[in-house]
Amino acid sequence: MGFDRRTFIQLSVGGTVGILFTPVLWKALDDVSIWTQNWPWIPRLKYGALEDQPAVSKLCDSGCAVKVRKVAGSAFGTEGNEDSPLSKGGICPICANAVQVMRNPNRVKGPMKKVGEAFEPITWEDAKSMVADKLAAAKGKVAFISGDQTGTANEVFSGFLAGIGSEDYLQMPCDMQAASRAYNGVMGGTGQVAYDLENSDFVLLAGADAMESWGPTVANQKAFAATHPTGEKPTAIYMLASPVQTRTASVVDAWIPVPEEGMATFLLGVAYHLIRAGKYAGAADFGSFRSMIMDAYAPGKVEAAIGVKGADTAALAKQLLAASDPIVVPGGTSVATATAAFAVNMLLGSLRKVSEFPKVIQSAMSTSERMSKDLLTWVNKGAAPAVAMVYEANPAYSLPDDFKAGFVVSFATEWDETAAKADLVLPNAFTFERFDDMQNPYGIGKQTYSVGVPVCRPTLDVMASTDFILDVAASMGINLGFDSFAEVIAAKAEAVGADFDEASGGQYEGSYSSARASVLGASVLSRAAAPVRGNGAVVLAPYSQLIVGSQNVATTPNAPCVISTNVLKGGTLVAMMCSATAKKIGVSDESKIKLSGGNGEAAALVKINEGVLPGAVAVPLGLGHTVGDEFSKGVGDNVYKILTVRSEAATGATVWTGSTVNVAKM
Amino acid sequence: MHMKEFKIKWGMVIDIDKCTGCGACMVACQVENNIAPMTKKDPYNYVQALTKDRDDADNKLRTLTWMNVYELSNGKSFPEHEVAYLPRPCMQCGNPACVPVCPVVATDKNEEGGIVSQIYPRCIGCRYCMAACPYHARYFNWWDPLWPEGMDKQLSPAVSPRPRGVVEKCNFCHTRYAKAKDQARENGEDPMNLAEGAYVPACAEICPSGAITFGDLNNPEHKVHELAKSPHAFRLLEKLGLHPQVYYMSKREWVRKQGDNYNAGDKH
Ligand code: SF4
Ligand code: SF4
Repeated sequence: MGFDRRTFIQLSVGGTVGILFTPVLWKALDDVSIWTQNWPWIPRLKYGALEDQPAVSKLCDSGCAVKVRKVAGSAFGTEGNEDSPLSKGGICPICANAVQVMRNPNRVKGPMKKVGEAFEPITWEDAKSMVADKLAAAKGKVAFISGDQTGTANEVFSGFLAGIGSEDYLQMPCDMQAASRAYNGVMGGTGQVAYDLENSDFVLLAGADAMESWGPTVANQKAFAATHPTGEKPTAIYMLASPVQTRTASVVDAWIPVPEEGMATFLLGVAYHLIRAGKYAGAADFGSFRSMIMDAYAPGKVEAAIGVKGADTAALAKQLLAASDPIVVPGGTSVATATAAFAVNMLLGSLRKVSEFPKVIQSAMSTSERMSKDLLTWVNKGAAPAVAMVYEANPAYSLPDDFKAGFVVSFATEWDETAAKADLVLPNAFTFERFDDMQNPYGIGKQTYSVGVPVCRPTLDVMASTDFILDVAASMGINLGFDSFAEVIAAKAEAVGADFDEASGGQYEGSYSSARASVLGASVLSRAAAPVRGNGAVVLAPYSQLIVGSQNVATTPNAPCVISTNVLKGGTLVAMMCSATAKKIGVSDESKIKLSGGNGEAAALVKINEGVLPGAVAVPLGLGHTVGDEFSKGVGDNVYKILTVRSEAATGATVWTGSTVNVAKM
Repeated sequence: MHMKEFKIKWGMVIDIDKCTGCGACMVACQVENNIAPMTKKDPYNYVQALTKDRDDADNKLRTLTWMNVYELSNGKSFPEHEVAYLPRPCMQCGNPACVPVCPVVATDKNEEGGIVSQIYPRCIGCRYCMAACPYHARYFNWWDPLWPEGMDKQLSPAVSPRPRGVVEKCNFCHTRYAKAKDQARENGEDPMNLAEGAYVPACAEICPSGAITFGDLNNPEHKVHELAKSPHAFRLLEKLGLHPQVYYMSKREWVRKQGDNYNAGDKH
């Protein structure tokens, strides 16, 4: 903090006392920069009519419902959409910068094919025949990798994939996937688990950095704001269990330090007290669940495994029992953690779900089907499709392990690591230049649907990837039932029951229902819940901040000045650890270190932060791009590459919790 | 020191217990006020082009963040450690330290509403005001505002970009105030008695946590009027007597103490 006596003294020395009376009309003067300051390279403002157009911004994982602000028909910024049930007028820091991303010179300016090591322009027509030929020759050995969690675009792509005889539709690893595999897979439920934060009076965030990077962050922040009215008594208690005091930790009522790899154990430790207090869940395996908990998750055992005291889990269980509407929210890609959280919610009678919206392309995958395949397991089994298509994802950057394919098609809007590696780059229209929608962003409490129409005319030679695939499908004789994605969207909006019009999009808000799972997952949890840790010197506690970027979107143009020096300093990433850890490994504040693990190394500066679990090192995800604009390329190192991927026992999920690294001083 | 009184006093009450430090307000402020991204090259600064690239974006002394979110720590060891975030716009002081030191009256506090103005074309870049402001709310344009190619195609119509050599700061999104008054006149309402929500700065509007409440501190119908009097409310370095129009709130005593730490005399 920079407020101190020294600045006060500066003030007394420099200050002259008195008031100068010069009535100046400074509003009028503001734009009269006609003197020496008016250099030709300083852009002049253009004026004209102001308007706001509702749109969906699908840059962040869950998407923000925004309004695009325009002057004289030209976009310059975004603002919140008060009418949206999702964002209620707020925006996340990525989507706050969306128009600047749209105008970024790093956009892919037109379709490109790789010739030797370089790219050459290709026409859209040629690109279509090239893709059709490659796909025909691939004979079903085709994979589609999607980073879009919510869009009906996935129906077009998965329906098309089915048409060419492949089932390899792979979603980028995400928390939504873990939850879906836990609830729809392990526990035998149907639908998507919902978290009604707005109406909960006790929220336990079990590793979910809800106010910063987990789920629909804006909706989460709004729910938090609504239950914590400024100047009044809060109506809900929020707690965060995590290895790092993330930004969410700054506002919650209590932070419980829990290692990421110990989250399932922690939750089952809480379940112990709930069952002791007589809680019951109507699931087929309740008996075996109870005996497993009583045997393996008694307070002493939990403390020995993860260091959380029995008194703390007991106190927490007491608060959960006293609440009228408690909810536990899991974070991360561990299916075991999600299963454990849902089991606790079942014991509390608070497990809820939203139903999926009806499909409009019949051959397409449902959301839960899309979520069922594990991308890294597929990669590590040695999959080598003849063609891989990548949409709204940057696997070459954010997968800890590399994927291989004979021919890679990237639908990137901006140049990124995956596009640079691809054989064909077919720029998708930007989120404001295309039709797109968001169905039930994972984490919301009720069914919600938002649909956006193009509000900006493309200035580059881009094409909505959905329309591209519909055209290719038609040329290959695959009938998906629609000629354009605009029609798909209109049909979807109708199937959902949204009030939709072609000029301003539309939305729908439904409700939740209580979830029914047939089992609590005892047989899986008994094998999968125990913490697994690598052999390195310290455990990695990776965290995300939207201001730094996401799996898919690199740091936005206005973000660099805003990123904290606790995240990035002098272009080097910052590794935070508590003084006990620093002492143990022989480093101190500002020490330069090298972290090595997984498939790589990362250089870092040490920052002592007492909000990090002893033995852990907190590092930011999202830095260290090797392709991109000047705001992200070569800035810090890529933490995804030092994560150690393992397959979770019993669930087979790919996880990197418990990744360890060795530390060397530089 | 004599303090000018205004009928309308725009102010903020920032609830630190709600701010998550997400940074959306900072980005919104930059977009609204045409603060250029920190590009590495400056082709127009011929001398600089010969010597070195522009500063790193994480050089917080050389970049412009009218809204800046500070991280506070209670200074305790694990596991007693706590963290909080404090967004800092310009305090629009009732008794501004910056105004009397400006030799050319490029900054003033004399408009109804009590917003401390900054007239860029007048500023000669002497930076006395920056030295005077104990809140570090003022920024100097070390570089010309340059947008990467194409990104300046449409800037915010709110305010002209400021050239190198000029000091700038948060002005509570003053154009929005002007617009709200015009709107009121158009609607046949009293522009000197705007309803709550008629004028909201970009940062307060975008904040997903609702941490920033904005309004007329003098108007009993505006929420800030009461909130500023809360027992949990405080102002930064209250004892300096600058009478900021920005208030903070926190139920956490350590946060309130750090906000007024000039007695303690040490930085955190
Ligand atoms: S937008 Fe709101 S929550 Fe985010 S940093 Fe700013 S004041 Fe804090
Ligand atoms: S009031 Fe406007 S100028 Fe001031 S910090 Fe907020 S957004 Fe920036």
